[in-house]
Amino acid sequence: MKLVGIAGSIEDKSYNRLLLKFMANHFSDTVDMEVLDIQDVPMFNQSNDQTEGEAVQYLKRKILQADGVIIATPEHNHTITAALKSVIEWLSFKIHPLSGKPVMIVGASYYEQGSSRAQLNLRQILESPGVDAVVMPGNEFLLSNVKDAFDDQNNLKDARTVSFLQSTLGKFATFVKMVNAMDAEAHADDWKKEDLEAKGEVETTIKGVDMHAADWVEQAAAKTNAAEGDDYVKLDRGVLTVNQLNWFLNSMPMELTYADANNQFLYYNHQMDGDKMLASRTPAQAGNPLADCHPKRAVPGVKRAVHMLRTGETDLFKLPVPGIPDKYIMHYYQALHDDKGEYKGINEFVLDLLPIVNYYLKQTGQVLAADPNAKTDAVSGASTKAAVAPKPDEVTGASADTDAKPVEPAVDEVSGASADVDAEPKAVVVPTPEPEVDSVSGASSN
Amino acid sequence: MHKFIAMVGTNSDESTNRKLLQFMQTHYADQAEMELMEIKDLPVFNKPESLQIPEQAQAMAAKIEEADGVIISTPEYDHSAPAALMNALEWLSFHIKPFADKPVMIMGASYGALGTSRAQAHLRQILDSPELKARIMPSSEFMLGHSLQAFDDAGQLTDNQKVAQLDSLFGEFQMFVEITKKLKNSHAATYQDVRGMDWTKL
Repeated sequence: MKLVGIAGSIEDKSYNRLLLKFMANHFSDTVDMEVLDIQDVPMFNQSNDQTEGEAVQYLKRKILQADGVIIATPEHNHTITAALKSVIEWLSFKIHPLSGKPVMIVGASYYEQGSSRAQLNLRQILESPGVDAVVMPGNEFLLSNVKDAFDDQNNLKDARTVSFLQSTLGKFATFVKMVNAMDAEAHADDWKKEDLEAKGEVETTIKGVDMHAADWVEQAAAKTNAAEGDDYVKLDRGVLTVNQLNWFLNSMPMELTYADANNQFLYYNHQMDGDKMLASRTPAQAGNPLADCHPKRAVPGVKRAVHMLRTGETDLFKLPVPGIPDKYIMHYYQALHDDKGEYKGINEFVLDLLPIVNYYLKQTGQVLAADPNAKTDAVSGASTKAAVAPKPDEVTGASADTDAKPVEPAVDEVSGASADVDAEPKAVVVPTPEPEVDSVSGASSN
Repeated sequence: MHKFIAMVGTNSDESTNRKLLQFMQTHYADQAEMELMEIKDLPVFNKPESLQIPEQAQAMAAKIEEADGVIISTPEYDHSAPAALMNALEWLSFHIKPFADKPVMIMGASYGALGTSRAQAHLRQILDSPELKARIMPSSEFMLGHSLQAFDDAGQLTDNQKVAQLDSLFGEFQMFVEITKKLKNSHAATYQDVRGMDWTKL
């Protein structure tokens, strides 16, 4: 379960941040919790809309990706801090990432009250229609006299407090599951809206060129007067010519594919002919809508996969595609975002992991041995929603629709963690009795 | 003649709360001197260890200290007072006590029907905290709903009933200021109490 924690205080020394950090560390077995920073969020001002600014967008993305939110509030002047209120105002003005989100409130204070009034206020604020969060009822956690509450290692001293916090967090975990199950039901069909025909457009869509054309690349380049050959391109941190970029990308030890936010397949690193590739692509496919690159039966799976990446349900999912002898082929789907966190498409990269594993074993003097305890495949996928996870052959970003593509039906689910893979023996790494190479050789050898 | 500070409870350029206070400023010009006070441009309160208060906040505090009373008109954001107003009040209670025993009248204007009912209750709670300890006029609420339609082009409140209500509240506030002044005995104690409130321990 992925949670984010927001401490409602921006002072350097904050016991509420300390409390969240303690929870993140101490209960890391139960929840995966990241403590977010609100330091850089400007004071809310409706005449100076900074919703699109980095600080607000960062919070928006993190909150949308989380299953639930824990807010730790101090109490200033009988209420929450202006800094926290300002954050909530930004998150209820033009965007509403907290809408429907399960939230737990905790609070720490210097005196006996332990932020009691601030917590009640916060509850009222979070439940207002613009914010629309789903605050867990009951289960107040108020930490008073904070100055004495933590030891030198920043752990809560009192065992009963820790155990109460644990039980509260346990209840919140259940609450999160309940709320999100309701929400999932309400949004169960959202993925169907993914437009694989790429009928919409994004800012970078090249208009007036037929996406289906075999020479889309040439037409699109002419239309945009695209840089080519020895033209220089300024990159994030460097300057290369287009030729240099091509050499560079074609030398990558993997097959790369770029599909944009409009579900248009724009590029692949054309290293070799399609029949030699791990995931086949052909030059004429560049420019095609994703729908063109998949068989019809695969469309629902692709839609679900793209939707997961677009909505931030996951940023990366991994998919083993077994079937080729002496290879362990992985398809990775990485969501692309701009510096504001806006979804910009997918980087699908495909590579054979086996040479890497073999090299590692050789260098460290180990061999693979079956793990008698293994129940599932060693490769875990990013998604936990096996019920909606697409099948492996269905999510390949822009693969050519060829029957030659090896597909192992047994490994159907994107969530590798729950998939039963029979194709590979379960293996663990064990040292060989007599290593032939120095086990510390590593990068410095030879 | 009483001198009042009229605090605009928002940092927004467009505000019917500002309009309401401006209306009062002219409407009651013969009864009291009202000076508008803006809360924008204050940095986000971060409880600095240096205890340094922004100059703007210090200047605001000085004016409040000098005034006979403060009138705050608040909008409502998310069922509560705006962060910008909360922020101003945090600075104005950080090792300075301009609101201690200061008579305050709360009102608010909103675009919708409810007219800031929840924000006013919230603001009352804030001003009642030991860090601020203002003397809030009890049993009084002025809520201006549908505030975008409430003023004519000359900035006059068009609803006569509302004006009559405001007149009587304003009259009561004038009296409340005088009554509060008579609470001298508790004043000294309160002030001591508030001084004893140490933000560094909060």
